[in-house]
Amino acid sequence: MSENGQPVVATTADTSTVTDKVIDLRAIDVYYGRVQALTRVSLEVRQGEIVALIGSNGAGKTTTLRTISGLISPRKGEVLLFGKAIQGIGAAQIARLGVGHAPEGRRLFARMTVRENLDMGAYSRGDRAGIRTDLERVYTLFPRLRERDSQLAGSLSGGEQQMVAIGRALMSAPKVLLLDEPSLGLAPILVDAIFEVIREINAKGTTILLIEQNALLALKTAVRGYVLENGAVALAGPSEELIASPDIQRAYLGM
Amino acid sequence: MRKRLAAFLSTEAEGGPSTAGTAVFWILGCTASGFLLIGWLLPWFVGPYDAGVGFSAQDALVSAPTGIGTILIYVLAVAMVVLLLSPLAEVVMRLRGRTLGRRADRIRLYLGIGGVVLTGVVWLLYRVVQEEPLFGQVQPGEISDSAIWLTMYGFALAALVYGARRWVIGRQTLAFGTAALPFGVFLPLMFHQAPDFLLWAAGSLAIYMLLALGLNVVVGFAGLLDLGYAAFFAIGAYACASFASPIHNIHWPLWILIFVGAAIASLFGAILGAPTLRLRGDYLAIVTLGFGEIIPDLATNNVFNLTGGPNGISGIDQPHWGFLDFSESPRWYYWSLLLVSIAVIVLLRNIERSRVGRAWVALREDEVAAAATGINTTTTKLLAFAIGASVSGLAGAFYGSLVTVVTPDDFSFSVSIAVLSIVVLGGIGNIAGVILGSVILTFVIFWALPNMDAWSTTLSSTVHVPALANIDFGSYTYIIYGIALILMMLFRPGGLLPSRARRIELESAGESESLAAVQGIA
Repeated sequence: MSENGQPVVATTADTSTVTDKVIDLRAIDVYYGRVQALTRVSLEVRQGEIVALIGSNGAGKTTTLRTISGLISPRKGEVLLFGKAIQGIGAAQIARLGVGHAPEGRRLFARMTVRENLDMGAYSRGDRAGIRTDLERVYTLFPRLRERDSQLAGSLSGGEQQMVAIGRALMSAPKVLLLDEPSLGLAPILVDAIFEVIREINAKGTTILLIEQNALLALKTAVRGYVLENGAVALAGPSEELIASPDIQRAYLGM
Repeated sequence: MRKRLAAFLSTEAEGGPSTAGTAVFWILGCTASGFLLIGWLLPWFVGPYDAGVGFSAQDALVSAPTGIGTILIYVLAVAMVVLLLSPLAEVVMRLRGRTLGRRADRIRLYLGIGGVVLTGVVWLLYRVVQEEPLFGQVQPGEISDSAIWLTMYGFALAALVYGARRWVIGRQTLAFGTAALPFGVFLPLMFHQAPDFLLWAAGSLAIYMLLALGLNVVVGFAGLLDLGYAAFFAIGAYACASFASPIHNIHWPLWILIFVGAAIASLFGAILGAPTLRLRGDYLAIVTLGFGEIIPDLATNNVFNLTGGPNGISGIDQPHWGFLDFSESPRWYYWSLLLVSIAVIVLLRNIERSRVGRAWVALREDEVAAAATGINTTTTKLLAFAIGASVSGLAGAFYGSLVTVVTPDDFSFSVSIAVLSIVVLGGIGNIAGVILGSVILTFVIFWALPNMDAWSTTLSSTVHVPALANIDFGSYTYIIYGIALILMMLFRPGGLLPSRARRIELESAGESESLAAVQGIA
């Protein structure tokens, strides 16, 4: 298991601002009604990185991802994607700009087949050849899905559903992939397999922002990590530093 | 060629007994029996001005078989009874875990074909050689055209269902279309002696079919429960009434007005959709319910002096170009509506398979996931409301022109419920199911139930049971309707022809239940 460094991938995007920051959250405040969920959260994800977001339940991890993919809008602060502000432009538009989100709890289209779920992932794309290549890629990453491709997504096992969720997010050919607890409810052996695939996806050049309950696994996979507590960033830094930090060891690693 | 013909005529059924393929088989089989029965006993179903083929047989029984015509009718009766009881025989054999053999199907195929030919011969003898006492005491003109047509159609259907069993089961949509389309097209000619029935076919069946097709977009495709759908129907009808009547002294032709009605209704659909974008399920249902009450209320209160108040708008124009005189018979409306319905069905089917259609399904399954995959939920929802409403507006414009008077009462809550019942009973999200549902429910609600009293009176005098005539079926209308719906939902929870998603879901629910049972034991 290599501590994946930063694979240098040339940015093909013709963005006007030259930046290697794929995602850049600048002091965002997010509210659910009157309840404040995030307070001045700043976070960045650079090209080619895997970044882990850890924290206890209710710390605001999922809310952070939902803010990035536009499912909620921040009340204050800025969300930059490749240096451009994207807050408030709507989830559909953000997905089109290259953010693939495998949301919490998988949220598959239960009464659609595996294949149809994957096709829905490519909804906003027009290039048929590219879609076919990516479908093949997903099937190569998850051979199980090829076997099940005409089965209803709702009838799959938890691990298979997670594969569909990740595969569906990949089908949009995302520049950055947001993964919300990919190991949730999976057997340990499946967790390892899923993380292996995550590293593989990253090695092919997709930037990944990852939420994970299993902090050690997350930090070992990621280059850098952010620790959220009560809706604010409590700690941030390279993974090795976080793993070595006594606070983290006590609170999240159970050491 | 021989081989293909043999395969075509093969008796082996594909798929289990609960698949929609066999559903079409059963539906066509039972329809064949129904048509034979109705053709035989037509006066009980259509009215006193019409007599069935069976009437001559009945009269012949009283006297003696005096002519060749009577003998032919006896032969027909035998063929008819065999085919009439065929679905029953199929059920019994299925229950005993067996199927009727290939020979039985062959026999029924020949009976069906023979029946068509013989009925034709009877008709020819009856019409051409009517001077001769071929039919015993039957007077010329007593057997109605509709009876003959229904009987012939019943025989032909039976021949198709039992003779080409594999094809009917394998190519269900095509088979259903082949069986239904000629009937749909020729209906006004077959029932030219029964204007009431034509009025039903145009004013109830065709209009409600359009309404149900439109509601199916909203409820079935996009999964948005709409309980006030009659409002858009009202908007279409009032649009037609306003622009083609003396009330504002505007007289636009119907062909423009159906588009005007559709456009105005779709605008209102978007207006209803916009504020309710964030609502789902029961909350949305309540809002749409309110909308459905507001629109007729506005019409009653004569807003802006546009709607004529509680009396509505009367004197709506009916198109009249040359020989195409729409006021002369409902059949012109019927054919126009049939043409429009086919266009709408083709259009909706294409939309269903397009990007928008897929987006609707995704939205129905999971709104958050749909948004995350790049679907613009706002426009997708508004489009569902607008397209659904536009079909309703189209139907409304036709309705206004057909009945020439529109009043607020025509668009009450019960209309919305009837349309929703059609969609649910036919099969939410499945266009073929919705079509079938509209045929069956409009027949029950708008033809069978209102005529029940007349039928029981006729029956009581025929079988000499006076008590039958005293039953007031009118007061049981909604009980019968309700019981039918409950039974339907108990035995076919996905509707008559469930949509693919619903069907697989029901099937896999059964599987996972049995799986759970196995795991529970293990």
